[in-house]
Amino acid sequence: MEDVVVLGTGMHRFGIWKPVPLATLARDAGRAALADAGISFGDVGAAWVGHMHAPPMAAVSMMKEFGLTGLPVTRVENASATGSVAFREAWLAVATGQVDVAMALGVEKFTDLKFDAGGRRRIDATILPVGFFAMWATRRMHERGTRPEHLARVAAKNWNHGALNPMSHRQPDHTITPEEVLASQMIAEPLTAMMCCPVDDGAACAILARADVARRLAPDRPQVHVKASVLRTETYTKGHTFLGAVVGPSQMTADTARAAYQQAGIGPEDVSVVHVHDAFAIEELEYYELLGFCRPGDAEGMVERGDTTIGGRIPFSTDGGLLARGHPGGPTGLAQIHETVLQLRGTAGKRQVEDARVGLCHMVGGGSVAIVTILARD
Amino acid sequence: MAERVPYEEGYFTVPADPGEAPRLLGTRCRACGEHFYPRRVVCARCLSDDVEPVLLGPRGTLYTHTFLHAVGFGEHKSKLQGYPAGQVDLTEGPRVQAVLSGRAGDFRIGMPMELVLETVAQDKDGRDVVMYRFRPVA
Repeated sequence: MEDVVVLGTGMHRFGIWKPVPLATLARDAGRAALADAGISFGDVGAAWVGHMHAPPMAAVSMMKEFGLTGLPVTRVENASATGSVAFREAWLAVATGQVDVAMALGVEKFTDLKFDAGGRRRIDATILPVGFFAMWATRRMHERGTRPEHLARVAAKNWNHGALNPMSHRQPDHTITPEEVLASQMIAEPLTAMMCCPVDDGAACAILARADVARRLAPDRPQVHVKASVLRTETYTKGHTFLGAVVGPSQMTADTARAAYQQAGIGPEDVSVVHVHDAFAIEELEYYELLGFCRPGDAEGMVERGDTTIGGRIPFSTDGGLLARGHPGGPTGLAQIHETVLQLRGTAGKRQVEDARVGLCHMVGGGSVAIVTILARD
Repeated sequence: MAERVPYEEGYFTVPADPGEAPRLLGTRCRACGEHFYPRRVVCARCLSDDVEPVLLGPRGTLYTHTFLHAVGFGEHKSKLQGYPAGQVDLTEGPRVQAVLSGRAGDFRIGMPMELVLETVAQDKDGRDVVMYRFRPVA
């Protein structure tokens, strides 16, 4: 496999962008990534478009915004992990020598979707994702003595990280306290509204290149290397729920992370900054353990010590995470890549993690899949 | 009493006697013994296709639960005060996620549960459309 670097990234801020056409969101993020990479669209050898709710032709036609160069364009979809999978496909194309430069573009407009009864009248569509993850929380409270305050502290941390990020959907104008999180509307017990990610529109993009090509195109830029990308689906385990569940038992995340650490030749102790699928606050808490950042049962201790705040032992969700930065679906995994690249270049401003060398990005997608990507600077 | 029809065919029984508990339509693998809900033609565990249809339930144990204040989709849409949901480990093994029957505060992890049918709608012929729920064993 070739050494592959992330040459450039870009985003359209996540949020409610009702009047903005999908192709405009995609164009803005893609052009920002090309400008950041310092290359022309003509240099891109292939593109993958991560778009969950796509009608036929959407991916190919939106790519015309960048110009008509004849490059191969492929749409990918893996639920919430869609953008991460687009990144992985682009990485594979460069790593296996198919192209020198590839683009991964994620875009979504949740405000265009109509969640009516017609498309959802299925026996397994009765319990929303928030209900599913609320049941994780109920179970963990039973097994580990987790309190709603722990979930509130995770959420407050990510909201406050979001306040430091101009690309974040949620940018609170005051410090969010756990008390404020607990006092927000109850959605699915014990999860309150502020413990849940918002509905979003947005786009994000990454440009990947073979390391020697990147050095030629951008000789002065610190290189951010792709050290691992592992994608897994479920392995059957006891407790697998076939109808209605968003994901299976959480073993999938642990298995995926273990394989990614092995591929990168590192362990969790080498990681400087982490982004996870924190669509609901309970998830981030679980992933502290499943990704190996603490022993089972110590996730609450991580929260109490402030380990995962910027400035803590191992900062999580420095851009605000899904909880604040937002979660449009298609682009979410690429927004994680964008933030991680800024952190590893040392250009994350007020959010900068001191001496960040290795970043880990994790997403899960309904169905279900898990994907872990590890990036490292020179 | 109106005739009863299932919310969706192929997932559960609708006994003629309304006092009788419904069963879930599942599969047992003859090669490894694992039980599954819903039905499958290949064992998800050992990949054998030597499987047989079985009826599962009606008893199980509550593994976890929540109470959704947000509205759901379709005919499960809650117009008023939300609804409880849970995951139940059936006696035979499979974990089943379903809407629960009862009010917030009725549920404790580990409590014995049983299947029951509830009417969720009427079809155009005036029949009761029924769906399974789990409720605490009385």
